[in-house]
Amino acid sequence: MELSSKPHYTSEIVVKPNKGKTTLLQGLRQNKVAYFSFWFLIVIHIAVFIGPFIWTINPEELQQTGALASWSFQHPFGTDDLSRDVLSRMLHGGRVTLIVGLAAMLFSLLIGTFVGACAGFFGKIVESVLMRITEAMMAIPTFFFILVALTVLGTSPLMVIVVIALAGWMEIARVVYGETLKWKQYEFVEAANASGATPIRILTKYIIPQIVPSIIVSGTLTIAAAILTESAISYLGLGIQAPTATWGNMLQNSQQYIWTAPVLGILPGAAITIVVLTYNFLGDGLRDALDPKFVKK
Amino acid sequence: MMRNNRWLFLCTVLISLVLLAACSYGNEETTTTSADSDRNSESGPKKGGKVTIPIIADPTFNPWHPNAYAESNVINRVIFSGLTQPGKDLLPMPDLATKWETSEDELEWTFHLRDDVLWHDGEKFTAEDVAYTFNEIVLNEKLGANNTSNFRLLKEVQVVDEYTVKFLLEKPVAALPAYLSLNTEIIPKHIFEGKDPWELTSFNKEQPVGTGSFKLKSYTSGQNVVLERNEDFYGDTALLDEVEYKVLADANTHVAQLLSGELSIFALEDLSAIDRIENAENVGIYARETPRFFWIIANQEEEKYQDVRVRQAILHSIDRQNIIDTVLKGYGTIADAGIAPALKEYYTDDVTRYDFDPERAKELLAEAGWKDTDGDGIVDKDGKPFTIDFKIGIQGDLEAISQMVQQYLKTAGFDVKLNAMEWNAMVQDVVVNRNYEVSLNWWRYPSDPDLSAYFHSESVKGFNIPAYKNPELDKLLDAGGQTSDVAERQKIYIEAQKLMAEELPYIFLWYPQEAQVRVDKLKGVPELAFGDALNYIHEWYIEE
Amino acid sequence: MYFKSTLPLLHIQGGGDEVLKFLMNRLGQSVVLLLIVTIITFFLINLAPGGPASTMRMDASPEERQAMIEKLGLDQPIIVRYFDWITNAVQGDLGTSFTSSEPVIKRIAERLPYTIELTVFTILISVFLGILFGVLSAVKRGKAQDHVINFLSVIGLSLPAFWLGLMLILLFSITLGWLPSSGVGPRGADFDLMGWISHLILPVLILTTTVLPNIVRFTRSSMLEVISQNYIRTARAKGAKESVVLYVHALRNALIPIITIIGMLIPRLLSGAVITEAIFGWTGIGTLIIEAARGRDYPLVMGVTVVITVVVVVSNLLVDLLYSRVDPRVKNV
Repeated sequence: MELSSKPHYTSEIVVKPNKGKTTLLQGLRQNKVAYFSFWFLIVIHIAVFIGPFIWTINPEELQQTGALASWSFQHPFGTDDLSRDVLSRMLHGGRVTLIVGLAAMLFSLLIGTFVGACAGFFGKIVESVLMRITEAMMAIPTFFFILVALTVLGTSPLMVIVVIALAGWMEIARVVYGETLKWKQYEFVEAANASGATPIRILTKYIIPQIVPSIIVSGTLTIAAAILTESAISYLGLGIQAPTATWGNMLQNSQQYIWTAPVLGILPGAAITIVVLTYNFLGDGLRDALDPKFVKK
Repeated sequence: MMRNNRWLFLCTVLISLVLLAACSYGNEETTTTSADSDRNSESGPKKGGKVTIPIIADPTFNPWHPNAYAESNVINRVIFSGLTQPGKDLLPMPDLATKWETSEDELEWTFHLRDDVLWHDGEKFTAEDVAYTFNEIVLNEKLGANNTSNFRLLKEVQVVDEYTVKFLLEKPVAALPAYLSLNTEIIPKHIFEGKDPWELTSFNKEQPVGTGSFKLKSYTSGQNVVLERNEDFYGDTALLDEVEYKVLADANTHVAQLLSGELSIFALEDLSAIDRIENAENVGIYARETPRFFWIIANQEEEKYQDVRVRQAILHSIDRQNIIDTVLKGYGTIADAGIAPALKEYYTDDVTRYDFDPERAKELLAEAGWKDTDGDGIVDKDGKPFTIDFKIGIQGDLEAISQMVQQYLKTAGFDVKLNAMEWNAMVQDVVVNRNYEVSLNWWRYPSDPDLSAYFHSESVKGFNIPAYKNPELDKLLDAGGQTSDVAERQKIYIEAQKLMAEELPYIFLWYPQEAQVRVDKLKGVPELAFGDALNYIHEWYIEE
Repeated sequence: MYFKSTLPLLHIQGGGDEVLKFLMNRLGQSVVLLLIVTIITFFLINLAPGGPASTMRMDASPEERQAMIEKLGLDQPIIVRYFDWITNAVQGDLGTSFTSSEPVIKRIAERLPYTIELTVFTILISVFLGILFGVLSAVKRGKAQDHVINFLSVIGLSLPAFWLGLMLILLFSITLGWLPSSGVGPRGADFDLMGWISHLILPVLILTTTVLPNIVRFTRSSMLEVISQNYIRTARAKGAKESVVLYVHALRNALIPIITIIGMLIPRLLSGAVITEAIFGWTGIGTLIIEAARGRDYPLVMGVTVVITVVVVVSNLLVDLLYSRVDPRVKNV
């Protein structure tokens, strides 16, 4: 990747980090799909977090209407195989799924940024060790690792989040590593170093703010991956267990009823796909908005 | 331009390949059925034909091997024979043994064996094989063979003569003939002698030698096991030519293949497919009783569950019929004691019944001191709410059932935390370490009413997982287990059932019925649960 | 395009000795990697609650359980067990499976070919289609084809694999009855070409969707980079026909990073194979390790992990070697 030497690019981002985010949003507006995705996601998140306060049926309660009931005013999406209200489960399940995605992403971000920044900044042995660990973790196929890890650690929501995070921090680490290497060479960083600032200060005050846009992009794409991983884990029966609803375990449960009540499977599957899709579009859009070559052309 | 054409061409080739493959796959069925209909159909059993049964994993051809689970049992039951077998009324019937009698004190059982039995490799079956199986395998504690807990009280098996054996017991075991009819087949001494029975893969995983009506023809790991008719079978020679067991890990596939005619018969695990099968033309569903009961256990080491009124309240809070209808699609009978209707001689429903009665539950809880004093919906006593730590293992319908149970208990005022664990983890916690409050599961037992293993205070370290101790029940169980007189046993077990229903050592849920699915052209299958019907596989036949 | 900065070992100076040094270096690192992976996996799986399935049966009495535990050597301390395992493993003995009493190597050897079948076909199709669509997308950048391909790629990345599998089974197996819903098809004596293909189609399709989008997008960006470079302009200035320019020069150079992406996708492919095999009951090592983990068959879990890691390490090695041979900048220094 070429180092862009456009002065206005550097000064904009270095001097005022906030401007970087505004430029991001403006850049995003150029990509209609990504822009739409951004607002769509905001709506979904609001719906899923506020929704249960409006639609107050308990997602675990057994309804009088009986099992596998068709849609009605009382139950717009009908009931599931144990006579629970599907709409309510979709809302609550959405909450859990999105929180798991978000939490796993934040955790990944933490680990990945720490590893990548340290490796890029300190170099030599630290770099070797950390990047070898990163490559080693990337070498182990995700599902083998997740399968074994969850079998040991159990399937509580916290463990699921931890395991998903542990399986996905490597991408972020690589990105941050690359970016750290690049920004390390800039004059302002060398100046700070010469003036005696501690490594931590240099990293946190000067380098990481530059990387924030890339981290945002990675983070967005990581949420998408985390949500997909959660559903795949549920498919293997290792995810968050019932009665807590997640879109992943609702999907897994619906397999048996694919004949009699396909809606049970179509709904969570479509929800997952749409959310993951929009996160991916958003992430792509953000990445394009950041790419200097793109802007140049 | 060029690239576009090449691209088009390749696409066409790919698509045609796909279509070709699809067509031939679809044709597989039609060619087989047309061949079948060529055979003229007369009524009455005819020789020939093949039966296909699904199994979910590779089997181990050794009934005593610790790795021999359900998928092995359905094969081993056919390749091997036991001393007795379940009769069509489930009472033990002769198999390798022609008759048996017991001494006065019931400490010695003499079994007279058939003299016309040959192993599949041509050797003669003798009393030595029986003695070897029991003395060297079953009674050798270090081996940890399956099913040996039923033979705890067996001291040794003596060879009296070539075709007679004696079982010497420490205490009378009336259920001995029944125990000998389930998964306790005889294995050949001349092959196993001097070898480690679990490491002998040439037998266990490749070429087993038994005495059953079919013998092994071929085995492909991950694919199938094919048995062929044993022409030298000591009983009536089988009518079918072959039995094939297909290894299909996914239960959905079983249903799909049943409907497409590739599978002939099995016990349906996933009852949500019932509607599809009911609507299908060539397939029938048959409800069969099995000696099984589903239960909830409340750890008797925990004080709050020791009060029988609490247990009774729990039972009144659950709408069992609704769960049976919703999850089991109606295939079950509500249970208030442990002896299943399958054991027709001993079952009685003249016991205390626990209707779905939330009001009564509230009353009972109040009597036991549990009331909702602070209006939070949870009953409490001395300021402490009634929380239930409900641990289950994820297998089959257990999760679905437990979720419904949890909801019912919540409505009744219990604060229930459902912990659905991976199966192994659950066994470790609940069964091995007894680290649990409440759990839900089921037992399946041999067709004998002696349930001491599950209820007796001496079995607390064994299968009496709730650690229930009741000297009255102990007395009844002892009495019933030690006499072979059927009339006497009937009286004893009726009393036992009444006591069980009163005291609820286990919180009895229901007796599940097996939903046996079978293609219409397979006939001769007796009206037994699939597992037991396999003992009569030599009577099955195909009629188009 | 951040991958380049993390492959510092690739700038080989050409020549046999250097290659050998490179290989020895990587071999050493791979051994260390393998060791670490085995230690982590061994301790993880042995810490899992419960024990091997044979000791965990509901209907096993405590005496039976204890006897089995002793027979399987599980009453030894965990470090002793690890050393036993590793000393045997380096001599080629991966132990005996707890659930079937057969040698672990035998069980793996029985199932590995099926996974290889699945992944090889997936790679072939994904690379072919990936390069095709990637190039098309790059050449028609900004136009309709580009947008459509990109859209489809993102959708491919966003679909939960087993949901797609479920829908396809619903359509092709259940409703239309054209394709089988599971299984590897008849093998051995009953092998039948069309049956084999019909069983392969859906699993390969699903597995392809997990890697194809990546290859497409990567090829696209790789091609775009190359297209803007000077020597392409030079080639054009020299008057060669447009398509020749594109094919020979651009593609050849774009291929280089594509080879590395394929190498990097191998772990993802194997990972995706676990789910795909589970969906279709495909008896490969994906389903094998699921069964092994569930049944706490420690030797089998370890054996499969070792095999998988070796496969990944070897393929990364091959990719790096290939890269060094194909990259003209590296080759001609």
